[in-house]
Amino acid sequence: MRHISLTIRRARHLWPAVSPLAAMLIALLTVLLAGSQPAAAISPEQEKLFEEKVRPLLVTRCQGCHGARLAEGGLRLDNLPAVLKGGDSGAILTPGDPTASKVLKVVRRELEPAMPPDEPLPAEEVAILEAWIAAGVPWSGPGAEGPAAGEDTLPADMEARLVWARQRHWAYQPFTRHAPPEPPAGLDPAGSREWGGLLDRFVTAKIVVAGLEPSPQADPRALVRRLWFDLTGLPPPADRVDAFAANPSEEAWGALVAELLAAPEHSEHWARHWLDLARYADTMGYAFGNQDPRYPFAWTYRDWVVGALASDMPYDRFVTLQLAADLVEPPAEKADLAALGFLTVGRTFLGNPHDIIDDRIDLVTRGLLGLTVACGRCHDHKYEPVSTADYYGLYGIFASSQIPAELPVIGTAPPGPEADAFNAKLAELKAAVPAHEDAVRRRGTTAAIAHTADYLLETARPTPRKADNRPPRLADEYDLLQGLLDRVSRGIGSAAPTDPIVGPWVQLKGKSDEEIGPAIAALLASWGDRPDAAIVNRLVVAELRSPVPQTLRSVAEAYARLFARVAPDWAGGPAAQPDDPPELVALRGALGAAGTALVVQPGEAMQLASIEEGNEHRRRKMEITRHEAESPGGPPQAMVMIDRDQLSDSHVLIRGNPGRPGELVERRLPKLIGGTPASRTSSGRLDLAHGIVDPTNPLTARMIVNWVWAHHFGRGIVDPVGDLGLRGEPPSHPELLDDLARRFVEEGKWSLHWLHREIVTSRTWRRSAVATADQLAADSDNRLLARANRRRLDWEAWRDGLMSAAGVLDTHTRGGRGVNPLAQDAMHRRTLYTRLDRQDVPGILRIFDVANPDAATHERSRTSVPQQSLAALNAPLVIDAARQVAARSLREGGAQEDTRIERLWRACLSRSPDGDEISAAKGFLAVAGSTNPDFGPWEQLAQALLASAEFQFTD
Amino acid sequence: MNPPPPCYSAPVTRRDVLLRTGLGLGWLGAASLLETEAAAANSSATPASSLEPIHRSLAPRPPHFPARARAVIHLFANGGPSHLDTFDRKVALEKYAGQEVPGTLPTERRTGAALPSPFAFRRYGESGLEISDLFPSVARHADRLLVVRSMHADVPNHEPSLMLMNCGDSRLVRPAVGAWVTYGLGTENQNLPGFVAMCPGGYPIKGTENWRNAFLPGAYQGTYVDTAKRKVEDLVENVRHPFLDRDAQRRQFDLTTALDRRHLAARDHDPQLEARLASMELAWRMQAEAGEAFDVTREPQHVRDRYGDDTQGRQMLIARRLVERGVRYVQVWHGEGQPWDSHDAIGRNHARLAKECDQAIGALLDDLVGLGLLESTLVLWGGEFGRTPTVELPQPGTDIKEISGRDHNHHGFSVWMAGGGVKGGTAYGATDELGFKAVEKPVHVHDLQATLLHCLGLDHTRLTFRHSGRDFRLTDIHGRVIEDWLA
Repeated sequence: MRHISLTIRRARHLWPAVSPLAAMLIALLTVLLAGSQPAAAISPEQEKLFEEKVRPLLVTRCQGCHGARLAEGGLRLDNLPAVLKGGDSGAILTPGDPTASKVLKVVRRELEPAMPPDEPLPAEEVAILEAWIAAGVPWSGPGAEGPAAGEDTLPADMEARLVWARQRHWAYQPFTRHAPPEPPAGLDPAGSREWGGLLDRFVTAKIVVAGLEPSPQADPRALVRRLWFDLTGLPPPADRVDAFAANPSEEAWGALVAELLAAPEHSEHWARHWLDLARYADTMGYAFGNQDPRYPFAWTYRDWVVGALASDMPYDRFVTLQLAADLVEPPAEKADLAALGFLTVGRTFLGNPHDIIDDRIDLVTRGLLGLTVACGRCHDHKYEPVSTADYYGLYGIFASSQIPAELPVIGTAPPGPEADAFNAKLAELKAAVPAHEDAVRRRGTTAAIAHTADYLLETARPTPRKADNRPPRLADEYDLLQGLLDRVSRGIGSAAPTDPIVGPWVQLKGKSDEEIGPAIAALLASWGDRPDAAIVNRLVVAELRSPVPQTLRSVAEAYARLFARVAPDWAGGPAAQPDDPPELVALRGALGAAGTALVVQPGEAMQLASIEEGNEHRRRKMEITRHEAESPGGPPQAMVMIDRDQLSDSHVLIRGNPGRPGELVERRLPKLIGGTPASRTSSGRLDLAHGIVDPTNPLTARMIVNWVWAHHFGRGIVDPVGDLGLRGEPPSHPELLDDLARRFVEEGKWSLHWLHREIVTSRTWRRSAVATADQLAADSDNRLLARANRRRLDWEAWRDGLMSAAGVLDTHTRGGRGVNPLAQDAMHRRTLYTRLDRQDVPGILRIFDVANPDAATHERSRTSVPQQSLAALNAPLVIDAARQVAARSLREGGAQEDTRIERLWRACLSRSPDGDEISAAKGFLAVAGSTNPDFGPWEQLAQALLASAEFQFTD
Repeated sequence: MNPPPPCYSAPVTRRDVLLRTGLGLGWLGAASLLETEAAAANSSATPASSLEPIHRSLAPRPPHFPARARAVIHLFANGGPSHLDTFDRKVALEKYAGQEVPGTLPTERRTGAALPSPFAFRRYGESGLEISDLFPSVARHADRLLVVRSMHADVPNHEPSLMLMNCGDSRLVRPAVGAWVTYGLGTENQNLPGFVAMCPGGYPIKGTENWRNAFLPGAYQGTYVDTAKRKVEDLVENVRHPFLDRDAQRRQFDLTTALDRRHLAARDHDPQLEARLASMELAWRMQAEAGEAFDVTREPQHVRDRYGDDTQGRQMLIARRLVERGVRYVQVWHGEGQPWDSHDAIGRNHARLAKECDQAIGALLDDLVGLGLLESTLVLWGGEFGRTPTVELPQPGTDIKEISGRDHNHHGFSVWMAGGGVKGGTAYGATDELGFKAVEKPVHVHDLQATLLHCLGLDHTRLTFRHSGRDFRLTDIHGRVIEDWLA
């Protein structure tokens, strides 16, 4: 029976608490109001059975699939009428008759579909159900008469759903002020200390209500190690642990917290957390073979994040700059433009704009608000009050923004020959791109004009080609270009028949060859001997007169000769002369000027290029990227986003299909966060930023407070962290989250340092990780935080920790281009600074749960796979560190065995060994032997420590 | 009796259960092994029930319904093998040889007249399946093959088609089939990775994306093995200590373990730390087992000779050894880049490629039959698409050297399957007269994937993972199980 009570007590936390008094009141009211419903009149014993045993069972076992949000098989088990009604396949039970009740067969797995699907109910719980059915299905409290308030079905209409969700969902409501719980009267001094700060009072109150004792404060040594890793991602030096252990006062703790928050290592460590959210990587992902996938300047964004966190930039400003540093007033510092890398360091999906924008929308909404909007690309959200219009309102904002061809320089490279060489080479490489484009344009235009007749004839075909057929290839291997054909069709093909230049073509192009001669004769007759220039151009007349063309092709060729006369001089045409006759000027104005059909425009050269020319173009661009990425002399550039000249709203794309535009949506914010229209004179990114950090938008502060909390405690108050929506889990401590979020804005003025301090100086955070039996029994997963969570180092802390133990971690070089962790000169940089190719994330990073850089990640998954241990046993990284630790211990401790062991322990574990450990080490050194000169006993001992659990976990 | 199907919708929450529930050793992903070793001692601290389904570990889990196959070997002929020269004979190509054909469909490049296959076809086995002379060893197993001649995909380009075939979506970042399968079923041998992707000489096009875990936990990503390498320690990362022999490492390991046990005892047997300890022991065993599994020199010479002592022979043999040892999903790529992409000289190129792998595939099938593993192992052969019945024409900037190749063709192509509960000696569906387009019983890639999961006992509509606020699945909103394929 112990197990059952366990389950039930845990279940309580998931189930909206109804105090016994309230339950009795409800039961009483139900009886009074329901009158004739016998089921409502239940005995106190029955009520106890239902409230303590049955309801928790239904909540935890059944209602996930058979509740308000999901009624699988048409069955809901969250209210009595629904239980009595049954599901699509009929009744599930007969009150008072367990043997006739189908549900019991199903949970006993005697009848398909066996339920619950994942894991059979323990026999004790089956017995509870049986007893309940035998008792006639007594139901007390909420659900006795139908769905409980707030659990009614989701409105399908989006406007109604918005109102519904705002009223019901905790995260969409403004912060409410909660008086912090008061400690019970008559506490002894030790007990009342647990009620220390505001934060502690909310947490402790729940622990006490659950009938538990919080764990005591952790041992000072454990605390220092925890704090160091938590705030800086690095292990503490052993002497700092000793110093605090010698004087573990509140003042000393406060000073330590202040010191670490001010340390540059702190902002580096927390920048890494943020970069997970920003789906940071140093490459664009998959690229064509002749494209350089690297982002040469992603690192300027990484460094900006580090700097912003170091200066404790208020979070509202931090977010605003990352969305709109180019638009803020007064203008941001040049260096702050790097913040826009937030939007631009994502995957580029081979240039597909819809996917790129989708990625940015998801980043901003899910990343910053904990709200899922990306579903809106194809359809209204299934649950959230988020519509396709909300999505395409945001889409327009990003579609009105672009990454400029030239990124702004935001600093200077140190002047000198390196910088000079860089600039000279860069100018040369950059000039090579437009030079190539010009050449392509010249070649393309010359070739097109040489095939004028074919273009005209192709557009004159009586039956147009099918859309899926390519334009034909001519006998001389020339491919007619679809872009030019379109323009010929649009321009010449649809000119008025009365046009003095192309009018005759328009009149003739539909005729058969037999009809051409007579038709031209008729035209010539109508024009007379001295045609009026307003009716027909004399050069046209001359081409049609001698001799009179007898086929449509001859007419097209006549026009081709006209085109050739006015081709641009850079494409083989004669240069314009000041004394050109007026009819030639007119001809040039209509056919030869830039903008007419067969002249390739500057911007479109590459669209009309051959595969070879396109390859060459990409190659030249790749040279620039490579130069910028690899040359040491280049100045830093910001990966900005700017507004386009042409701002645009977006149509809803039906089912996400660009070929099926629906209604036009003006650029705006999602309605859930106000729906504010974006400015008509800019992309709207600044309006988006303002809407996100508006203090009346409760999602932003809740999201960041919960996120910071999760990184301090290993788990969010809302869990999972990134989902504040209807489908997410409710907070374990709603009042605490509200209070902390509100105070973060009001008292802390959005300061993340304030928030860190509130948390790490609380008694809650400083509790011991040792669990009492009661805690394990009642709250095995530690939702109440009666104790601390023991945590494994993440990949970066583990690798940095190895180098730190080895004494080789480079804590002086900060920032700059991403480095290759295997390169001699960079291998000891902090892991933050290693270059990450999102296309090829090394296996060992995946094994250690490094965030997938393709989507905003609020918290990493935490798997434990044997490959992690295999790395501790054999990875070169660990082996190298072990050799360096051994060398360090000799350097610092000398050859004397005891002192060297002491130094080894202090290097690896930030503490001295005890007597047993010293003997164990000595024993090992004696048997380890020294058969291998590259990895002798001391190296082996060092590796044994580095592979230990103590090294890899914080208490 | 049906085993209870796994519940993947994670009704309560979907996070790492094990950190919180106190299930202790379960979180390792090695529950089955550890239960026998240590969990008994821990059982008093383990609640009888958990609020949440365990779905993160690699521990074997029952399927949704009884499975036909328990493992998959996917032989990926990357680059796009021509169905018209292998498994889909078209006599009409001879009739139209050298002529413009009606109904040319758009593909990546321009193609011209019909190009008959340079290879002869024969009928094999009792079923009389027609197979070209490219695959005589595979053809010996004709009566075990289900040849699907009516496959179709979405676009005629490698990148999106590889993503569609491997991850169920051409563009978006989605987990690979092997990741979904190990997520759904775990794996049977905890000492080996559950999903192995072998490709000799480097990566195929799209690289590691082909076996990515995407939003699934990292434990489900494919483990890449470069089978051009021969030494075991080059094949499997971190499988061997570079300096210590087994005895020396054992002594060191014992010291670490002793330190860990002491650490653990002082911390009241914290389940996380216990799990970590067990994980170390597992890694210890993995060193031995992985080293053994990937070492084909442990096979007798006559076996190696049957496979051929070359790259393809070695990697097919490794595939067999892995499946024998309970690896769930093995993908065997033909080679780095896109070897089967015969835009020119298809006669010469396809002949060379088939010669490289035919013997090894035949030997693999022989052994799976001989070991009784074929029944429970689904072998799938195919590329990301097929090729055009018309000859590819040269275009400036392309790599064509002689005009005798075929362009990509996603409108119609062939794959074959064997074992794992599919009907042998069967040709399913058909392309049009010329082999351009799947016209009879067309099968989309999503249908293939849905059916593959079905063979493994998984319902493709129920194998879901909650990410970014919604439940994702391999086949998105598509896919249907093709009952006709099931034996």
